[in-house]
Order: sequence, then C-alpha cells, then structure tokens
Amino acid sequence: MAVATDDETIGGGGGFLDLLGGLGSYLMQPEVLLPGVVGGLLTGEAYGRLSDIGTKARTRAEDLAATQLEQTQFRPFTVTTATGADLGTRVTPSGGIETTMGLSPEEIALQTQLLGGAGGFFGQAVQPRDAREQAIFERMRSAQRPEEERQRLALEERLAAQGRLGTSSAAYGGATPEMLAMATAQEEARNRAMLGAMQQAQAEQMQQAALGQQFLGSAYLPQQQLMAATQPAQQLAALQQQAQLQGAGLFGEATMSGIEAQLVAEQARANLLGQTGAGLLQGALTPRSTGNSDLVSTLGALFG
Amino acid sequence: MAQQLQSINLVAPAFKGVNTEDSPLAQDPSFAEIADNAVIDKRGRIASRKGHTVVTTNKTVLGTDSLRAIKEYEDNAGNSKIFSVGNNKIISGTTTLADETPGSYTISANDWKIVNFNDHMFFFQRGYEPLVYSNHAGVVEKMSTHAHATGVASTMYGHEVLAAYGRLWTADFSTNKSTIYWSDLLDGTAWSGGSSGNIDVSKVWPDGYDEIVALAAHNGLLIIFGKHSIIVYEGATSPASMTLSDTIAGIGCVNRDTVQYTGTDVLFLSHTGLKSFGRTIQEKSMPISSLSGNITKDIISSLQNESEFFRSVYSPEEGFYLLAFTGQNVIYCFDVRSILENGSYRVTRWVGTGFTSFTRLENGTVYVGTTNGISQYAGYQDNGLKYRFKYYSPSLTFGDASRAKILKKLKPTLVGANDATVFLKWAYDFDTTYSTAEFTVGTQISGYYGESEYTTVEFTAGQLTSQRSLNATGYGTSVVVGLEADINGTALSLQEINVMALIGKLL
Repeated sequence: MAVATDDETIGGGGGFLDLLGGLGSYLMQPEVLLPGVVGGLLTGEAYGRLSDIGTKARTRAEDLAATQLEQTQFRPFTVTTATGADLGTRVTPSGGIETTMGLSPEEIALQTQLLGGAGGFFGQAVQPRDAREQAIFERMRSAQRPEEERQRLALEERLAAQGRLGTSSAAYGGATPEMLAMATAQEEARNRAMLGAMQQAQAEQMQQAALGQQFLGSAYLPQQQLMAATQPAQQLAALQQQAQLQGAGLFGEATMSGIEAQLVAEQARANLLGQTGAGLLQGALTPRSTGNSDLVSTLGALFG
Repeated sequence: MAQQLQSINLVAPAFKGVNTEDSPLAQDPSFAEIADNAVIDKRGRIASRKGHTVVTTNKTVLGTDSLRAIKEYEDNAGNSKIFSVGNNKIISGTTTLADETPGSYTISANDWKIVNFNDHMFFFQRGYEPLVYSNHAGVVEKMSTHAHATGVASTMYGHEVLAAYGRLWTADFSTNKSTIYWSDLLDGTAWSGGSSGNIDVSKVWPDGYDEIVALAAHNGLLIIFGKHSIIVYEGATSPASMTLSDTIAGIGCVNRDTVQYTGTDVLFLSHTGLKSFGRTIQEKSMPISSLSGNITKDIISSLQNESEFFRSVYSPEEGFYLLAFTGQNVIYCFDVRSILENGSYRVTRWVGTGFTSFTRLENGTVYVGTTNGISQYAGYQDNGLKYRFKYYSPSLTFGDASRAKILKKLKPTLVGANDATVFLKWAYDFDTTYSTAEFTVGTQISGYYGESEYTTVEFTAGQLTSQRSLNATGYGTSVVVGLEADINGTALSLQEINVMALIGKLL
C-alpha cells in the first residue's frame, strides 16, 4: 500500500487542481465523452425504471389490498325460525355489524308473561320475611290452638277436680307441675312453629327466587332457540366467509405473483440497462496508454 | 201405816259428765246438770279439777294483762325456752318474764299463734310481720331480718300458721281468706323461690265460698278449715302436686286455736260444737263425730257470746281437752279417754278460773296463762285460793214422775276434800231455790316415809273417805241433788250419793 508523505500531501494540493484540470481534458475527449454520456443515460434510465417498478408495485399491492378487502367484506344474512322468530345482520355505515332479532307475537306474549312472572317472583323473593313468617306462624298456631285449648281445658278440669286450680309453686314457675309441663309443651310447640315458619319462609323465598330464575330463563328460551336456530346459518356464513377469505387469498396470491413477475422483468430490464450503461461508462473511463497515464495514475492514487 | 224408806243410790254420779241436751226428766243420773270445776277422775268419778300454781314471780312486763299464748321452744340441741305473749309484748321466761319484743316493732294485739319448726319458733298474727326466734340468733327478730329470709311480704302475714310436712303453712290474711302459702322446704323464713308456693282454694269450697280459719296436718293430709266447710288435701308432702281428697260442707272451724291433735284425731270447734276427724284407712272419707253432743246448746251459746279468744289444750296425761272461752271465763273440759254411747266426750265445766292460755310442755306439764303470769296446772288451789266445786244432778224422778218424793236423808260418799266445807243441796220440781245442808269433812294428813318426821307423823289409811248422813226436807215429783265444796288444797271426788226417800201419793 502506498503511503503518502507530507511532501506528497503538500505536493498533492497542487496536484488536485491539476487533477481536475486533467480530468476535464480527459473527459472532453471524443472517445470518452460519447460512451460516457450514453452510459450515463442508460444508467439513469435503469435507475428511473427501478424506481418506477417500486412505485408501481406499491400501487398494485394497494389496489390488491383494496380489492381483497372488498372481497373479504362481511356478507349480511338473515335467519327465520319455524316459530316465526328471525335474526338479521347488517353492516353499519361505520363498518360495524348489527344484529337484529325478532320473535313471533306468540313468543313475545309468552316472553312478556314469563318476564312478568319472573319479576313477580323476584319481587316476592326480595320482600322481608318477617310478615310471611308471622303469617305462616299464625296459620300454624291457628291449627295448634284448638288442641291446645282442649288440653288446657282438660287440665283445668283435672286441676279443678283435684282442687289445685289455684296452686302456684316457685319450683314450677309459679304453677303446678302439670301446668308447667303443658306450658312448656305449648311453648315448645310455639317455638317449633316459629322456627318452622322461619324455615318455611326461607324455603318459600328460595322457591320464589328459583321460580323467578326459571321464569326468567324460560322467558329467554325463544331467544335462545332463535340463537340456536341461527347456528347452522352462522356456520354457513362462516363457510362463506372462509371461502371468501380463501378466494381473496388466492386472488391476492395470484395477483401478487403477476406483480412479482412483472417486477422481476422490469427489474431485469432495468438491470440490463444499468449494466449496459455501466459498461459504457466503464469503457469510457478505462485508462489508455496514450498519455493519460498521469490522470490514471492520479485517479488511481485518489481512488485506488 | 208408815211407808218404807226407798233407797236410791246414785253411784258415781255424773261420771258421764254434763248433759244439758236431754230432757231432765228422762236423763240418766249418770249425767250431771252442772259439773263446775270438775273433771272425771281416774276412777270414773266426778272430782274437783286441779288448781294452778303460779310459777311467775316477776311479771312486770305483763302488767295487769293476762298471758294470751304460751309455747315451749325446743330445738334439736336440747335447748328449751318458754315464750308467751301478753300486754302487747313477746315474753320469755317462767319465773321472771322478760320482754323479747324486737325493737321498733309495735304490737297492739295479742292473738298470736306460735309454732316450733326446725329449731326455730315462729310467731304469726294477722297484719303483723312474723317473728322468729332461734337459739343461734338468741333473740326474737322480725322474719325479714332473719338470715336467709326471702319473700317476706305483707301478703303472707297470716293469722294461722302450721308446721307440717317440712314446711310452714300460713293462711287467713287481712285481705285474702282463700290462699295458703307454704314456705320452702325446711326453711320457715323462705317464702319465695325454692319449692315455696301457694294455693288459692276459693274455687274449691264445696258450697261456693268460705274463708280459711285454720290448718291442720293429719295422717298425711292437709286439712283446711273454713268457717263452715272443710277441704282435705292429700300428698301435702309435695304441695305443688297435692290433690283434693275430700270436702265437707256444713262443718267448719270457729277458731284456729281450738284445733288440737290427739294422736289419732284432730279436734276442733265448729259452730255446732266440738268435732273430730275419725281416721279411716280403708275408706278415704272423713266421718265426723260430735264430741260435745251433750252440751251443744251451751257450746253454741258460749261461742256466740265470746268476745275475746278461744284457747284450747290437749293433755294426754290429764286425759282432757280444754276449750276456753276467755271472754266469758268459761272452760269446757272434755274427757278424751272414752266416748259415750252417743259419740260425745264426757264434759265438765270450769268457771272463774282466769285461765287465758295453755300449753303442754314436752314433759307433759300443762302450763296455764293468767294475769299472774305462767302457772302450772297442779295442786288444788288457784294461786293459793280455794275454788268452788259444784255438782248438780239432773231432775230425778226415781222411775215414777207422777208420785211425790219425800227426801228423808242424803248420804254422800266423798273421797278426799280434807277439811272442806261441803254444801249438800236439793230442790224439787225444777225450783232453783235449793235447800242446803252443810258439813265439814275431816282432816287427814298423809304421812310418807322420809317426809317430815317419819316417827312423829301419824300413819294414815291413804285417801280420806267421808260418808255423812244428812236430813232432807220437802217433797216433790222430781228432785235435784247438788253438792258444792270449796276446794282448798285437796282433791274431792264424789263417789256416790245415797238418797233415802219416801214415795208418796200421786200428784
């Protein structure tokens, strides 16, 4: 490798101007100038064509995408069940998909009835249980009272016959053992009735809630059935969509293949032009032994 | 031709006691029209009652009042103390009476009933908080201040109290005449809690309404005396479960203090006289026998006229049941050793004794309450004074009421009555003006070995027996023979009276 010395560098400053002067004179030579110009034009043409190829390829790809977007667009469909319910779909102007469902009048009436019932049951389920507990308790007690009264009267008569009606003993809560036993039994019955009323009220509340749930579920049964009925149609639509997607894919692939082939050809043409221009330029700029050794050597020193 | 004297021998006259119910003419001479200050002695003769020997030497706290109740306190430790009431005080002691009234406790009546129960003595009187004495407390105190007392309230300030079946029972309250309260088991001061309780018998009275007067316990039964009916409960050991056993209408109890237990019976005074429950085991019924059938009218009259207290005592040792009408100063003495054919007890009458209360001590001694304090029923003087024994026969017709009887001689045979002046009386045809023959019984002092100078006193033949023959006068179809004597230290028994009479013409 040649290493420039300070002297050469200093001397080079003056050489650069000389070089420019030599280069100019060199290029103005006819055997250099024409091939050089032609080569340059060809190269420029090749460059321009490559640029056009990219632009065209992008434009064509965008066109393809738009075409495929249109090809893969959702296709609205409608479903109508045997009971008269229908499901409709449409694409909104904003691109969204809107679904509409409709029930038959009979189904609407039934749904309304069931929803009303569910509302009633739920309404009852959320009511406080106190009143219901009291009502149940009173009904239970009203069933128990006659027998209790009979037993009380029998005990009263028995105690009266025994002369013990007025007996009060602290050991038995201020009464007789029999009266305490009866009072205990009656209180136990009352307690059982109270607990039973509470349990019954709770069970009824749960039953109301369950019925409400059942009614609510049943109210949506036509809708569910409609949805179920749309399943085959949705599958068909999906198949259609899938076919659309596949068709669009194939269309795109085919189109892209053509574009690519065209791009390759165009690229090859541009390359050919470029190579031609490059050859001309190379030929024009190839040094000869006719006194251009200083320039060549100078260029060689500069670019070598 | 002179008629022969007819001898009519009245052997053991009046040994059946007084009879004022039957017609005098039809009466058995074994009855007496009057037998005052008399008893039926151990040989079945009419005899003078005992007197009373005053034990009290200091009765300052009693003042001029009389003792209205006496009771002996006893506990399981053997402690004993005599309590009495009078002069609006609770009093203890016998020789010297001591005021045991609790402080700030005002008493204005002396109609207390006192009972022993479980080492405690309880004093109950209507409207007053019950009082309690126990040996461990050492003082009479209000029940509410006694240790462990509960439920002491004015509602249970009863007039009647009974200690039976492990509890105290009380009834007859100021405003409640049909409820009985019972205390907790073995605790006479616990009237709430435990097994205490009460029973209202207002719906049980057999004739619709009555008021509780007295309570008694007998043969496992709780006997509730109303004024004119009786209710009997069985199973009183568990009062909450006791059941009505029997009801008796028409017979009640006049006063709680007339109820006495004789061991086999319960004696009580009803409006128609002294009654008793006969005990039957097989039958659960209550046969009622009248024990004062021979003096029914007298008893009724006495109880209607009574303005103070009824007091009674039963003494198996003396064999009598005494029923005192203190306001009239009359005591009926029922001899309980046997019953006459008509179901009555032999009865005599004590008058002017001044006895206002009795009690029988555990040792059998009968204490008597008077204005002198506590006396013992003993001796034959009333606090050192003589008293009059009276016997009058019913009208005697000697079997023929149509013929005149001309009494010639009266020959009484008396036992005892040393140095007594005896008045033998007779009258004809229901006249109340009696002819009298007087004589004095001789003196006979018994000498006993080791007493006095054995060698100096005279030997005697035991009891003095006096037979006198007294001339009688007058005539009539019926004759009443009487004998009066002042008892002054020696008992008098009337063995017999032999009447010598001529039976005259038809009148």
